[in-house]
Formats: sequence, C-alpha cells, structure tokens
Amino acid sequence: MVLTVIDKVGAGVLRATDTFGDFAVLAGRAFAAIFKRPFDGKNLLNQFQSVGVNSIPVVVLTSLAVSMVFAVQLAFGFRQFQAEGLASQVEGLAVMRELAPVITGLMLSGRIGSAMAAELGTMQVTEQIDALECLATDPIHYLFVPRLLASMLVVPLLTVVSVYIGFWGGYLILVGVEGQSAYVYGNEFYKLLAFRDLRIAIYKAFVFGIIIALVGCWKGYRTQGGAEGVGQAPTSSVVTSSLWILIADFFLTKLLLV
Amino acid sequence: MAVIDVVNLSKAFGTNVVLSNVNLQVEEGESLVVLGGSGSGKTVMLRNIMGLLTPDSGHVAVEGKIIAQLSREELFTVRKSIGMCFQMAALFDSMTVFENVAFGLRRHHKMTEAKVQARVEECLSMVGLKDTDKLKPAELSGGMKRRVGFARAIALKPKILLFDEPTTGLDPVMTDVIGRIILDLKHELGITSITITHDLKSAFEIADRIAMLFRGECIACEAPSDFKVNPHPVIQQFLRGDADGPFLQDPPPPKRKAQEAHA
Repeated sequence: MVLTVIDKVGAGVLRATDTFGDFAVLAGRAFAAIFKRPFDGKNLLNQFQSVGVNSIPVVVLTSLAVSMVFAVQLAFGFRQFQAEGLASQVEGLAVMRELAPVITGLMLSGRIGSAMAAELGTMQVTEQIDALECLATDPIHYLFVPRLLASMLVVPLLTVVSVYIGFWGGYLILVGVEGQSAYVYGNEFYKLLAFRDLRIAIYKAFVFGIIIALVGCWKGYRTQGGAEGVGQAPTSSVVTSSLWILIADFFLTKLLLV
Repeated sequence: MAVIDVVNLSKAFGTNVVLSNVNLQVEEGESLVVLGGSGSGKTVMLRNIMGLLTPDSGHVAVEGKIIAQLSREELFTVRKSIGMCFQMAALFDSMTVFENVAFGLRRHHKMTEAKVQARVEECLSMVGLKDTDKLKPAELSGGMKRRVGFARAIALKPKILLFDEPTTGLDPVMTDVIGRIILDLKHELGITSITITHDLKSAFEIADRIAMLFRGECIACEAPSDFKVNPHPVIQQFLRGDADGPFLQDPPPPKRKAQEAHA
C-alpha cells in the first residue's frame, strides 16, 4: 500500500520533470532560433495580423467591461466612507498595474494561445510538421519564432490599448453615472501613478506574451492521438498559460514593486 | 557504395517490435518497392531513413552518412537531397498549391520569383496538374493531393525519392495514373527511389527490386521476376491476395461458397 503510493508519487514527479524539461528545451530552441536565417517577414506579418490586429476588439470590449465594473464597485465602496474622490485614483492604479496586463494576458491566452495550439496540433496529426522537417525546415524556427515574436511585441501594445480603454471605462461610470467632474477625474486617474507603473505593466505584458506563445506552440507541437488530441490541445494551452500568467503576475509584482 | 544503406535496423514502440534487424541496400538510380501488410514496419523504415525516428539499434546511412549521428544542420543538408511523398500528401493546408510546391524553393534557394514560378509550373506539369496552382488543398481530390505532394517533393531536384503508400485509398484508374507518374519520374529524373505500396500491378511496373517486410523482418529483396516465383508461403499468399495462409496472425473468418453467401 505504502509502496504503491510512493510509486505513484515518484511516477508523478518523473512525469512532471519530464514535461517541464521538454517545455524548457523547446523554449530554449525557440529563443535560439530567433537569430537564425532565413528571416520570414511574410510569416511574421501574418502573425502580427492574427495575434495583434484581430485581437483589438476582444481586448477593447473586455477592458471596457472590467474597468466599468471595477469603477462601479469602487464608487459604491468609497461612498460608504464619503471618499468618492478616491475612486478615480484607485481606478487608475488598478487598471495600470493589474487589470490591463492581466486581462489582456488572459484574454489573449484564450484567443491566440488556443488558436496556436489548435493550428500546430492539426499540423502535427496531419504530418504537416513532418513535411516541414522533410523539406529541411526547422519547425521551431518556422512555426514558433514568428508566433513568439508577434506575441512578445503585441501583448505589451495591447496592454497600452487596454490602459487607455480602462481610463474611458472608469470615465463612463465615475463621470457619466456618478457625476464626478471630468476635469477632476482626468487628473485624479493619474495621481497615484508614475512612469514606473507603465513600465511594470509593459514588462508584465512582455512576459505574458512569451508564456502565451510558448505554451500554445508547445501544446500544439506535442499533440498526439488525432482529433481527440487536437481537441485537448487548445483547452490545455489556455488552462496552462492562464495559470502561469497568474503565477508570473504575483512574482513579477513582488519583484518589480520592490 | 549503396545510396541508401539500412543496416540491422531495429525499432520498437514500447513492447511492440516494429522492425527487427532489417537490412536493405538501394543502389544509385535503382527503384526499390517495399511490400508488406499493414503494421509490418514499412512506414517506420521510411521515417528512420528521413531521420524522423531514431533507430533502437542498427543504422541508416544515406550516401555514406549515418543519419542518427548527424547534427540538425547536417541532417537538413541530407534532407534537401531527399524528396518525401507522404501517404496522405501532408500538404500545408493554409497555403495554395503553388505555395506548397514553391515552399522548398523559397526557403533554400535564392531564386527570383519568376524562376520559382517557372519551376513550380514545370513540377506541376510533370504530375499532370497544370492550372491548379491557385487552389487550396481542401479543394483537391485525394489523387490530386498526392500529385501535388509529388510536385513538392521533386521541386528541389532531389537525388532520392521516398513514396509512402502513394496509391492507398485511390480508385484503380487513379492508382494507375499515380503508377505512371512514378514511372515517368523514374525515367525522366533517373533518381533513386523507395516506394511503399500495396498495389501489386504498379509495384511490378515500377520496381527494379522488390523487398517484402513481414512482422518487422525483411523476408525477401530481389528482382520482380524472382520475387514472383519466390516459394516463401507468405510471399505467395500476398501475391495471391488470399486470406488463408501464414500471413495473418489471427485466423481469418471461414470462407463461404458464393451460393451460400448469397443465400
């Protein structure tokens, strides 16, 4: 009985180490491949289109919704202490430091991370990745690198968009509904913020971009078992990258705010 | 020296031994056809030749280079001299036929777009598929997909061509078309090839030698005329296409007389 439990725990540890090692090796190969030739500009532009431009609506809508809900909660909370004026300051702080990068990261892990896993998973089970190998093309270089570069650049840019939309989401509630002065809101929103906060948000988004692309590509690349495997890859990618985004957010916040 | 040298090749997946001490040599310009039942290890052998799988023991050498010992860069250099035609074509479904065939040319040759266009048209006309360059793989029939796969494989002017069951799932007429294309490619390009097929008619047309894999072992590798009269019971059963014999591991269902079956 005890031996069986130890056996299972040991097998689990070995499996986890194996999985993490596999991810680390593929991630290392992807970063090393960034500097290899040939440089595929067209493929990169396609990724910017699908990762970036096509993601704008979803980022705008979620950022607007979350910042509006947050403003409603803040207005209600601070009203208990007759401190409604603080709502816009806290809104600014929350949007810039947490909501914009995390919401953007989570939404993009659902939108683009899952798409990467599904696309590469389909390519894997239909032997298209083997065909790339046979055409003397490194799949890591051809498939991972453009997605990684696009994600690394686009997630920070969309985070800036999310901050901007967050400002207007708070404005709609605090000025439009709660009746605060637009001039005061405009000043108070940035009152507790420094340039460092924007920098932190961009650093976080940069790391989230790396997580989304690498996890999505890795899950797709390691897809096995036909249609069932292709079906599981996006789900697994979203769950894994969302979890890693939240864990990374905690450590980055602790590290960067010191 | 053989262009492709398979030496004591063994490969197992878990407890399932797929290849066991297989030895095969393919000389320059020779066309080898590999026959064998489903699961006899034919595709696994091709994947070992391409370096997509690593042997458990033994090795595969292409032009004297042992595939499993090559670095990634060296392996890619060897692969540029081999064209692989997959069983289900494995076309890039996000690209058009033209982009599929041009893929290797654009990646590995600094050719002008006009030269790429000319080469793609040349390859497509060799497989009888002119005017399909703008279509996506989803718009093609099974036979057309295989032929685009051939065009993609020959675009880089390889010295070796590997065909993995190029006629499986196709109607007899299209099977004959594919057989003729392989024969044309053999005569026009003079390349070394290994073809895996179940279609005996095209196998005897294409082959300079025929090898047979049975339960992971190579039981024959000889000229088609010798293969036809090889007394090995497995080979004779395979050539007859009969269910009764040593070929199947599990006994087949009993044969009923035609009248009984229709009753």
